[in-house]
Amino acid sequence: MTYSVRQMSKLRRWVPAFLVLVLLAASCSSRGDDDDTGGGGASDTGGDNAEGAIDTSNCPTDPTTEIDGDTIKLVSSYPQSGATAAFAQIGVGWQSYFEMVNADGGVDIAGKKYQLEWETKDDQYDSATTSTNIDELVGTEGDKAFAAFSVVGTANNLAIRDTLGDLCVPNLFAATGSPAWGNPDYPWTLGSTLPPYTIEAQGFVDLLKEQKPDAKVAMLIQDDDFGRAYEEGVQQAIEGTDIEVVKTESYQAGLQVDVSSQMTSLAASGANVFFNGATLLACPGALSAAAENNWQRDVTWVSGTCLSKTLMGLAGAAGDGVYSLNNIKDPQSPDWTDDEAMTSYKTEVEKYFAGTDTLNGIVAYGWTQAAALVKALEAADAPTRLAVMESVRNLDESDDTGLLLPGTGLTTKDPDDEFLGERVNLVQYAFSADGSHFERVGDVLDFEGETAEYTPEDLING
Amino acid sequence: MTTTTVDVGAPAVVSVPEYPPMPRPVLIGRIAFGIVLSVVAVYTPFYFAPENNRIISQALFLAIAAMGLNLLTGFNGQVSIGHGAFFGIGAFTTAILMVDHGWPFEATIPIAGLIAGVIGLLVGFPALRVRGLYLALVTLGLAVLLPQVANKYIKGIGGRPLLKPRAKEFSSLLSGLDDDQWAYFVCLAMTVLLFFLAWNLVRSRTGRAMVACRDQELAASTLGINLAATKVGTFAISAAYAGIAGSLSVLVDHLADGTNPVLYFQRSIEFLVAMVIGGSATIFGPLVGAFLLVMLRRNTEDLVEGKEVLAPAVYGAALMLVVYVLPDGVVGGARRLFTRFGRPATGAPPSPFSPTPAVLDPDPDPNPDSQPDQSAPDPVTPANPEPGGS
Repeated sequence: MTYSVRQMSKLRRWVPAFLVLVLLAASCSSRGDDDDTGGGGASDTGGDNAEGAIDTSNCPTDPTTEIDGDTIKLVSSYPQSGATAAFAQIGVGWQSYFEMVNADGGVDIAGKKYQLEWETKDDQYDSATTSTNIDELVGTEGDKAFAAFSVVGTANNLAIRDTLGDLCVPNLFAATGSPAWGNPDYPWTLGSTLPPYTIEAQGFVDLLKEQKPDAKVAMLIQDDDFGRAYEEGVQQAIEGTDIEVVKTESYQAGLQVDVSSQMTSLAASGANVFFNGATLLACPGALSAAAENNWQRDVTWVSGTCLSKTLMGLAGAAGDGVYSLNNIKDPQSPDWTDDEAMTSYKTEVEKYFAGTDTLNGIVAYGWTQAAALVKALEAADAPTRLAVMESVRNLDESDDTGLLLPGTGLTTKDPDDEFLGERVNLVQYAFSADGSHFERVGDVLDFEGETAEYTPEDLING
Repeated sequence: MTTTTVDVGAPAVVSVPEYPPMPRPVLIGRIAFGIVLSVVAVYTPFYFAPENNRIISQALFLAIAAMGLNLLTGFNGQVSIGHGAFFGIGAFTTAILMVDHGWPFEATIPIAGLIAGVIGLLVGFPALRVRGLYLALVTLGLAVLLPQVANKYIKGIGGRPLLKPRAKEFSSLLSGLDDDQWAYFVCLAMTVLLFFLAWNLVRSRTGRAMVACRDQELAASTLGINLAATKVGTFAISAAYAGIAGSLSVLVDHLADGTNPVLYFQRSIEFLVAMVIGGSATIFGPLVGAFLLVMLRRNTEDLVEGKEVLAPAVYGAALMLVVYVLPDGVVGGARRLFTRFGRPATGAPPSPFSPTPAVLDPDPDPNPDSQPDQSAPDPVTPANPEPGGS
């Protein structure tokens, strides 16, 4: 390429501009130096104070710093609109509980009262959006919030696990039953009261052993780690039994809700048991499609993430008789009409979010997470991230927390026990035009401390 | 980058023009403007908070992608609404190299550009057969296809097509700069470099060949310009720009995302909008457009308190207004303004390096590759309609 003389001189006009740029860059960088020294000093003290099970030596800020002021800021990202809006009701549940606690004076940590404050963003169940949301809410230095709370979704929480772990920001009660929350490499993330998916798989297989020991199972799962937990959990649980998985179909996670082609294939597989591992609208969609295909089967199981009134309501009669596991009282069930915890829940939610359908089990779930968190906060030794994280990892809460079913409870006090919802009830959906609900079947199943045993290694540490 | 595969057949036809000497005030004005712009650009990351630096960096990589699209659509007349796909290819190239192969981020930028460029080259060949709206549809297919391919072959975080290198792998290589400032300067350096290359390119023989292909394809081929090579080459360069922008997006956003099926389609539209509101077939247009776009989006979000659903409507109305009031983009509009009030281009910041001062310019036109139809340029098909018979 050749330039005329004239063009060369035009190029030369950029030289002074470039020189100025370089000079300025050099002079301005001194400000950055000051900042850096400040940051380095803080992390040193973090290393000195490291104690207990959680390694804090790499924390960029000292996790034993006490909360400045008298508010605790929690942040969350969860689906709140569009086809994923069914999960927005979780937020209504926990926010109502926090409002109630604030109105009563706040949370008491080590003798001081703190008000709870929160900020949430909508991610439509998309894990990339969750990641950007949490980056923004927590801040690049992790200084804009105390902790993340009740972020919904397996892939979504996996997407923020590294970031929050590196910043030493607690990710509390991730609203997913993935066994991955037991990974010891990520001490700052803990799951919620939702039964671990592999416990669900075990409960499902235990039920089959009793009712249909030679069952042929067809599974519908989500095409990600959420679905993988069900798939591998069931595979491990059926080892040594006559139960067989004859067909597994998956659907792409996201906004896609039509699973009718997968269901046609499953219905034609000759299976007599259907494990519906779908969530959100795909879950009732699968039940309806099974009915449309006239699939005759003996046992149907639905994911514990599908126990909301909105979702089961969509399935209607097609959901009649399905089984699942739960550890939270179904507000629709007549068992709890006079229950004190249930009455208080309904009154309070109605007070702060008028018009909410308090009969929706997913609101009750959110309410229970908040109750468990408040108990854990009050049990913490100090208003610090480390103390709170240690407190949620040493829970021993009885069934009077939130709306937990009688006989259940939340325990993480054993050093090897990272899962909360391990005492659960088998439940069965009873459809009727005037009051469908989940009915408890049998007594509480006690899997306390056994999740790791029922879970393939790679699901926890993979 | 300026020495592309283009074979400009008859050099005598597009000979290097004689530039008239530049008046001294214009020269001084331009140098002053350059200095001010440089100072602002360098001071910016020290003035703003990390969140704002991130938004500015996003505007910079958006500008690079829009510049790439501008080379293709603005200067060469090939319409693409699939550049989001090349952007995504760049992003995933960088993310895969970092996550699976432990590469440092900076080393992945050229690879991302190269791979996107090669794929652009491959797409460019079939694009020779289709033009206008049909080409737009073909490229649209690319943008829609990419997330599906990612979903099939990339199992990232949580089993989803999402790759997320750890934040510390993007940490600043200069101890004096914070991470966000470092990201900004990397984006700024790439922007300056790539805009400089683009500026050179469009002023070169190759650039004139590109414009000739756009304006009069038949005439251009009669004059000996290798149409196929010009078009395919432009496509490749343009895709490489988008790929580098995608690579930089990983630095700024810390992830490469294939979970959202319409994300890269949205990106494509963003590039197009940035190019059009800035001013297509101008050098500074994509930069101005990218900043306008990012600011418009950002500021309409919280404009109506408690009515977030209205944000897209306000944003859309603002875009319509810009296009209606400034049909030739902000840079084109500014140029008209300076033409009306006073000497053309005197201190007019955006215009100096444009190859298209065109008919509204009363001064002798120093540049031969003027756009003939400056009065009413249609942004999507910036040139004359394709000659029907060719």
